[in-house]
Amino acid sequence: MTSQWDLMRELATMQDRMNRLWGTMHDRGEDVTARGGWQPPVDIFETEDKEVVLKAELPGLAREDIDLTVENNTLTVRAERRRDDGVAAERYHRTERIFGTCSRSFTLPNTVDASRVKAEYRDGVLSIRLPVRDEAKPRQIHVDVAG
Amino acid sequence: MTLVRWNPARELATMEVDRLQQMFGDWLGGTATARTWTPAVDIFENDSREYVIKAELPELKREDIQISVENNVLTLKGERTAEFNTAGDGYHRIERQYGSFSRAFVLPNTVDTNAISAAYKDGVLTLRIPQREDAKPRQIQVQE
Repeated sequence: MTSQWDLMRELATMQDRMNRLWGTMHDRGEDVTARGGWQPPVDIFETEDKEVVLKAELPGLAREDIDLTVENNTLTVRAERRRDDGVAAERYHRTERIFGTCSRSFTLPNTVDASRVKAEYRDGVLSIRLPVRDEAKPRQIHVDVAG
Repeated sequence: MTLVRWNPARELATMEVDRLQQMFGDWLGGTATARTWTPAVDIFENDSREYVIKAELPELKREDIQISVENNVLTLKGERTAEFNTAGDGYHRIERQYGSFSRAFVLPNTVDTNAISAAYKDGVLTLRIPQREDAKPRQIQVQE
């Protein structure tokens, strides 16, 4: 039997594979840090109303700099963060924040309804809500026992 | 001996209290079990000669961010909890960090600690620390 948990784990492993793939592509060519590549941390969890929620930390972004696409069951988040304009490098005393472009992809399990994806950006966090298809929700099957 | 121009801001960058705390924390083995995280911080000087501290604090409530200044040490503190049960099986991936954070910075004594302002927008806390009027550069006329 395939439980929902396994499907989700699949989502996680697929994403790891994707990232590794991207990672090796980067390694082959140029330095990732030189290109300003960064990876926003992401949490994925399920809510009680059977939604899969993906939350990515993207502080200090303008909404128009976040690009979200769903194609062939793959959800891709792309974002670009720019440093404060007009501040010369020598004026910086500490730079821990990472700027540049980022891209993360996640393979969606086919239990979610990709046409009803909702996204919201608030307090520096992008929340993507993926409702689970009704037919994929756990249900009870009644078996009539004769006699 | 060479004379090096004194840069109060450099002091701010190098004398970060965190490092000392980390050092002592590790030494005493005190903080190892607590769930803590360290927000990324940028510090720069703007055109109005203010020091600007930008800290990445995504999804924190304003009331959960504590900013204090004591003896020229600026401390940022706060706590963030996950909206799902991190101990249960309702999650599939946790990369974000939860728990409390604390960062402290020694301010140069050229700043006016009474005039510090703070704003929180899109998960970024911005602190503006103006320099004192008498610390601003001024021209001194040569008398005859």
